[in-house]
Amino acid sequence: MNPVIVSSLTKRFGDFTAVDDISFEVRRGEIFGFLGPNGAGKTTTIRMILGLLAPTAGSVRVLGMDARRETAKIRPRTGYMSQRFSLYNDLTVIQNLRFYGAAYGLGNAQLQERIRAALQLADLEGREHLKTGELSGGWRQRLALGAAILHEPEIIFLDEPTAGVDPLSRRTFWDLLYRLVEEGVTVFVTTHYMDEAEHCHRLAFIRRGQIIALGAPSEIKRHKMRGEVLEIAPENAARAVEVLRTARLEGALPLESVELYGALVHVILPEARKHRKDILRTLQNAHIRVHNMDVIEPSLEDVFIAAMQ
Amino acid sequence: MMNTRHVWAVARKELHHILRDPGTFILVLLTPTLLLLFFAYALTTDIRHVNIAVLDYDRSPASRAFVQQITAGEDLDLYAQVGSFEELDTLLVHGKIKAALIIGPDFSRDLMRLQGTPIQVVIDGTEPESGNFAVDHIARRAETFVTETLGRQLQGMGLEAASLSPLDIRVRAWFNPGLKPRNDIIPGMISMVLGVPALSVALALAREREHGTLEQLMATPIGRAELLLGKIIPYLLVGLFNVLFIPALAIAWFHISLNGSFLLFFLLSAVFLFAILSMGILLGVFMRTQAAALALSFLLIFYPGFFLTGIFFPLASMPEEVRLEAMFLPGTPYAAITRAIFLPGSGLEVVWPYAVMLLFQGVVFTGLAALFFRKKL
Repeated sequence: MNPVIVSSLTKRFGDFTAVDDISFEVRRGEIFGFLGPNGAGKTTTIRMILGLLAPTAGSVRVLGMDARRETAKIRPRTGYMSQRFSLYNDLTVIQNLRFYGAAYGLGNAQLQERIRAALQLADLEGREHLKTGELSGGWRQRLALGAAILHEPEIIFLDEPTAGVDPLSRRTFWDLLYRLVEEGVTVFVTTHYMDEAEHCHRLAFIRRGQIIALGAPSEIKRHKMRGEVLEIAPENAARAVEVLRTARLEGALPLESVELYGALVHVILPEARKHRKDILRTLQNAHIRVHNMDVIEPSLEDVFIAAMQ
Repeated sequence: MMNTRHVWAVARKELHHILRDPGTFILVLLTPTLLLLFFAYALTTDIRHVNIAVLDYDRSPASRAFVQQITAGEDLDLYAQVGSFEELDTLLVHGKIKAALIIGPDFSRDLMRLQGTPIQVVIDGTEPESGNFAVDHIARRAETFVTETLGRQLQGMGLEAASLSPLDIRVRAWFNPGLKPRNDIIPGMISMVLGVPALSVALALAREREHGTLEQLMATPIGRAELLLGKIIPYLLVGLFNVLFIPALAIAWFHISLNGSFLLFFLLSAVFLFAILSMGILLGVFMRTQAAALALSFLLIFYPGFFLTGIFFPLASMPEEVRLEAMFLPGTPYAAITRAIFLPGSGLEVVWPYAVMLLFQGVVFTGLAALFFRKKL
């Protein structure tokens, strides 16, 4: 049986439906990404899975047990790292770890050993007595992960763990997640970073409380992509976007979307090769020189932008 | 089911917050005691050196001895001996004196005959506190005067001094023979300053909510009741520490005597702390931010402390509804307990209804806090 089974889960706050009849399962030993823009219902869903919030309808089973009623049996076997930084800034690194260890009922000998492992994982050996608030974002986030896995949970839930952390620390953090998965831990992670979504084994894309795509990144790309991606390297990318969007609105070109990618422009359209020449001509008429133009493999971001249209 | 290991984990963590640096520690630990010092000095209604004038129609050795007796010490100062009522009136009108003593022409004769003799005291009605103080003081000294000067003489005549009362004195101050208002204020004030730990616990819970650590805590196996109890314990210890300190301060600094049992006071203070901390944690459960918790704590812990707990205004003089409300504030019974143990030195046989009330409040507040905590994440 899959460790997390969400069936027809719904949460309404008054008239507002935050989570609208969603169903999915998380498989043992995978990194399951829960992807979506801010306010899409990610945190509400994770809170219902953790039994912190009662669903309006539907049910959640974690490790075969009812998420709302059997929390006492579920909690010792799951870990959670909440959205905002979840450690106490005014306590030292070791005080935080001791507290969370004790909260999960670890005895002294076991706690010592697990704290050593967590410090090693977070690369914080020798910094045990620093105030947690004095650590940089990347350290604190690794420490929070270390604290969340002290009791060796079977599943760990991470709510936007890398929000506001520098790119290098984000990469290090994901390396840690892969290490956990290798040890057999199941990881459920919410994010709004597309590059992180690419690292997940499977993912669900949630938008306005509904799942609009579910599966492995490659499957989602294959099934959800309406059209192809044309990558254009123009002289002036911002101008090119402007020109192409005007053409799209006027119906001159059959474009699904036009997005700026740094110095490049991604255009999504059906049968890209057929319309190549028209696009080139439109840009040249606007006196924009084009260095290069290629049909490329879509990224997840392309897929979701296409899906959101 | 309570898991003591969970409770202890939370309590120890909370203690770490309090102990995080020596400055904070001392501040948290000593705030109630320091507040008591501050309040007692700022709000004291202690009256001394009240100026009075004397209009002595008798001008006898006895009347002079009487005036001397009354103006001895620091309480009343003899501003002037006047010869006429008009002079006296002028002094009063100009606020030079707060009270005047008028001794009738037959003072010494009446005394010798062991007859009642009229003594008139005129007071400045715009400052009734000073005036009443003077009246009480004069009445008390007059009694002493009579007993001392005439007692020996009477004994020689074979009469008992105690059975005689040539001056008709009706004013008496029970339990507070020095008539020092501080005596009455300090025990009531203790109940107020011990509300500080309750404020701290309300803030501590609101802070967890504000910082998002509460959500993290709720995802651990720690139960709601375990969390609330674990939070209360360290502040209970801080409160008890102050309970040790405060009577010492009251006795050594303000010269108030603890007439009752210290052990009883200590135990009932622990019950009070349980009630007031439960109230604090209930406030913390409802408030989303520290600012809101602070405001509400002032409204419900300190503000009523001033008005409703009978510290400054007797509860008996309040409307029924207000009195009923006051019964739900732990400060009310505790102020009564403190006063009863300190001044008349009462025992459990007197204060037990208040102790029961405190216990009841504590249980109700804790129950409500645990009940609403679930819904308020």
